[in-house]
Amino acid sequence: MAMIEVEHLTKRYGTTLAVDDLSFSVERGEIVGFLGPNGAGKSTTMRILCGSLGATGGRAMVDGIDVMDDPRGAKRKIGYLPEAPPLYTEMTVRQYLRFCGKIKGADKPRDAAEVAIEKVGLTPVAHRIIGNLSKGYRQRVGIAQALVHSPDVLVLDEPNSGLDPAQRAEIRTLIEELAAGDTTVILSTHVLPEIEALCDRVVIIHQGRIVAQNTVDALGGDARVVKVTVDEPSPELAARFEAIAGVTAVKARGDGLYLIEGSTDLRREVAKVAVDAGLLELSGQRQLEDVFLQLTGGAE
Amino acid sequence: MSTFAIAGRELRSLFTTVTGWLVLTGYLFLTGFFWTAMASMYAMQSQDAIVSPYMAAQVDMTDYLVAPFFGNTAIVWLMFCPALSMRLFASERKDRTLELLLTAPVSTAEIVLGKFFGALGFVAVMLACTAHYPLLLMRWGNPDLGAFAAAYLGTLLLAGGLLAMGMLFSAFTESQVVAFVLTVAAGLTLWVFSWVGGGADSLASQIAIVTHAQDLFRGILRLSDIAYFIAFIGVFLFATHQRVESFRWS
Repeated sequence: MAMIEVEHLTKRYGTTLAVDDLSFSVERGEIVGFLGPNGAGKSTTMRILCGSLGATGGRAMVDGIDVMDDPRGAKRKIGYLPEAPPLYTEMTVRQYLRFCGKIKGADKPRDAAEVAIEKVGLTPVAHRIIGNLSKGYRQRVGIAQALVHSPDVLVLDEPNSGLDPAQRAEIRTLIEELAAGDTTVILSTHVLPEIEALCDRVVIIHQGRIVAQNTVDALGGDARVVKVTVDEPSPELAARFEAIAGVTAVKARGDGLYLIEGSTDLRREVAKVAVDAGLLELSGQRQLEDVFLQLTGGAE
Repeated sequence: MSTFAIAGRELRSLFTTVTGWLVLTGYLFLTGFFWTAMASMYAMQSQDAIVSPYMAAQVDMTDYLVAPFFGNTAIVWLMFCPALSMRLFASERKDRTLELLLTAPVSTAEIVLGKFFGALGFVAVMLACTAHYPLLLMRWGNPDLGAFAAAYLGTLLLAGGLLAMGMLFSAFTESQVVAFVLTVAAGLTLWVFSWVGGGADSLASQIAIVTHAQDLFRGILRLSDIAYFIAFIGVFLFATHQRVESFRWS
């Protein structure tokens, strides 16, 4: 049985359709990334899953519990970080996490708060008032709040916003650890490299619909682009690139830059050819970004 | 259990905000002023009673000191309860912290009750800060402690009613100022119903919130008054509950 099962979920705000017949499922221990432009319905879907928003139609189940029928039971299994971390700024980090532990039904709220502080790296600021913390620390308090009651499922809306690269890496490691310990994670982001680095699977949402869902490799792997810059561009060179087995298109972009598209990894063959024309630079490009732009209509 | 946690947080947060301390200070200043004025007046009346047997039969600590004191301070609650209740939901919505409560495994009733009792707890603390008045009277007089208890109960019920009403207004706006103004206006309207003609038994007078506290201030415990306050509080708690439920559908 899948940990999360969403069937035909629909959410209508007046005449606007925010979520349109969404269906997907997530297995235990899986990390799934929600990808989509702003306003695509990612946050709405997450809020319905976490019980702070009612759906117009369809249903969402967490570990077999319908979030509409038994909200209390479902919420106990979910830890949720909203887009804006819900922090009581007048409390200290420790007080706040103890409170969260209590209302979320942690077995021993005090111990749970300490574990969460330790896990997310808040020990040096645990005694400080949240309102005085930097944005990065506040974001971490938000994450600590989501996992204080050791939930089976973590739903993180933009967990990396406001964090610097080092903090991002820490959070990534933390999420990986949690997933290894059988926690199921759903996260949303518009940072593509983050999804590639972290997620087992990507769900691309656009205008309330799922436009694609698959593993990162499968989504980005069918079509690849090799970007190559040579010292001496020529029409013959382009023809030689085209002759390579597997190449589907070659585009000359001037100044010696060529974009070579193909269905497999072409870097090795392209390099062999390009060396003769004075190879300056060569990079293989994953296609996730292109897939994303194509599906969400952002390419035009 | 979560009700206690939410109430506790609410109570503690009032002690960490300016509003809480301002309300407490203002309350103690104003009640102190009322108390001094009334105690002096009562002392004068007592002196008159020494030479007049008729007066001596009339002057009674409950009727001449306790009831007027609590009756006068009632108007203070009309201003301070809205200041305590205005933030309950308005600030949570503005700061987007309500999401935490809505996604926690607690029922809407627990959230509403927790917030109500948190604010009422602060009122209890404020009242406890006036405990030296009966204690002082006991040192130099012989007050009717039962009357004091009834008056405190009346104040708590009156404040509870105003808080419950204020909480509903707080759930309708993200602005604490709007919630405050609406609550004061509604409270005042309910208050002046008691001035509308027809005497104590008229409908207007029965609707008025202060009418039902008046007897309690005099030490008279009447079931109808208690029932009025419980119904009043109940109606507004229920309305707030429905309002908070509706957040899931907006």
